[in-house]
Amino acid sequence: MFKRLRVNTEPKKIIPDLEDISVSQLIGDASLPVTIKALNSLPENAKLRLYRVLIPVQVLAEFDINPRTWKNLEKIQQVRMDAEQGSDKVKIHAWHGDDPQNEFFYLELADNQYNGIDMNFLIANNPTSEKYRTDYDNEGRDTLFGTVHRNIIEEEKAMQAGLSPGQVREGLRCSSIVFTHVETFLTMMAHHAFFLEPLTYVSAWIFEKRGFAYSKGHQLMDTIHKEFQPGGKLHKALDGSTPFRQPDQWKSVRGRAWAIHDGILQAIDKKWDDLKMIKQVGRHAGVSTFPDAEY
Amino acid sequence: MSQRYQITRAAELKSLSVFREFISDCCGRHNVPEGTVFELKLAVDEACTNIIEHGYKGMDPGSIILAFRIEPDRILVHITDFGHVFEPADAPKPNVEAALEDRELGGLGLYLIYQTMDNIDYQSSDDGNTLTFTKFIK
Repeated sequence: MFKRLRVNTEPKKIIPDLEDISVSQLIGDASLPVTIKALNSLPENAKLRLYRVLIPVQVLAEFDINPRTWKNLEKIQQVRMDAEQGSDKVKIHAWHGDDPQNEFFYLELADNQYNGIDMNFLIANNPTSEKYRTDYDNEGRDTLFGTVHRNIIEEEKAMQAGLSPGQVREGLRCSSIVFTHVETFLTMMAHHAFFLEPLTYVSAWIFEKRGFAYSKGHQLMDTIHKEFQPGGKLHKALDGSTPFRQPDQWKSVRGRAWAIHDGILQAIDKKWDDLKMIKQVGRHAGVSTFPDAEY
Repeated sequence: MSQRYQITRAAELKSLSVFREFISDCCGRHNVPEGTVFELKLAVDEACTNIIEHGYKGMDPGSIILAFRIEPDRILVHITDFGHVFEPADAPKPNVEAALEDRELGGLGLYLIYQTMDNIDYQSSDDGNTLTFTKFIK
C-alpha cells in the first residue's frame, strides 16, 4: 500500500573508532561527521588550528588579544584550549589580565551519544563590569549557577543591576557571533546540528532568537507564557512574597526568569528542567514563545 | 520563482489549527486551488497528529517546524520534528475495505497522506526527522 512512500533514513555512516585520526581520514569523505574525540587525537598544533575558530576574533579584539597567538599586547597568554587525547570534549577558556580564574569566555563542546554535538557551556561576561557573588553561597559553597545553593543577597543585587539568573557579571552580548562560529566549525566537521540545555528562561528566550527549536520543552515554554498572562496561575503567584516575585515581573523576560529561578513553577506543578534545544546548521527555526517580549 | 514559508509551534493538538490557518494564508497569496489547499491541510494535519501522538510520546513535547515552498507547478511541504524516529514500515495498514463499524479508530494518517499527495519522502538523522510531501498544482 505504501509503495510510493520512499523512506530514506539517512545512511548510517560508520564513524571509525578513531583512536588515531590521520590526515588521510580528514581529507577522506567530507560528508562524514568527525567527532570531537577523533579531533582530540590529532597533534596539539593541528587541534589548535581547528579549534581556534571557536572563539570569535571580534570577542578577542575587544581585549586586544591576538587571534593567532591568543596573547595580549604584553605577550601574556589569555586563551587556553583543553582538548586532551581520549577526551570527547573541547573547552576554550579566555581570561582578562593576569589571573586565569578571571574568565570572560568559556565554551565547552562535547560529543553526544547520537554522534551529534552538545554545547555544554557558553559563558561570556564583561570582565570589567561589577561582579556579583551569586556563584558562591554564604558558606562558601559553589551554587552551580544557583541551581544547587543560592546566595539570596547577591542574587537580589544582581537582579537590581539588570543581570539574569546564573550571571555573575553583565554579558558580552556576543552569542550571535559565537553561534555563527560554532556553526561554521560544525559544518567543517560535517555535523548538521548541535544541542544544548537552556539553564534559565532568559537563555531559552535568547536561543529562540538565535534560531533554536526545542527537542523537549516547547510546550512548557508555551504554558509558562500563558500562565504569566493576567489571570494565569503564575501571574497570581507573583504575590510579592519574595524579592523575586514582584507583581510586574510577568512583563519581562528577566522578571519571569528570576521568578522561575525562585521556584514559581511549583504553582503549575512544573520544574525548570529537561528542556533541550537544537540548532540546525544554517536554519533559523523561528520559535517565539514570548512574542513582543520586553527583555 | 518560488516562495518559501515557515512556521514553528509546539507539538500539541492546539497547534494544528494554527498550521491550517498558516497554509490557508500562504496558499491564498498564490491563488492555489481550494481543493489543493484542502488536501494539503488534511495531509499536514495527519502528519502532525502522528508526531504529537507518537513522535513526542513520553516526553515534554518539542517543536514542529512546518516549512513549504510554493513553486509555479508544485508545492513542497517539509515537516520537521525532533521526537522519536517514525518507522513507516511498522505502521499497521488500515483495512479500508472493512465495514465502518468493524474498523479500528485512527490509523488512517499515512493512508490519507498517500492518497492526497503526489510524492512522500521521510528522512531521519541526528538533526531531526523530516517528512516531505510534494503536491502538484493542476
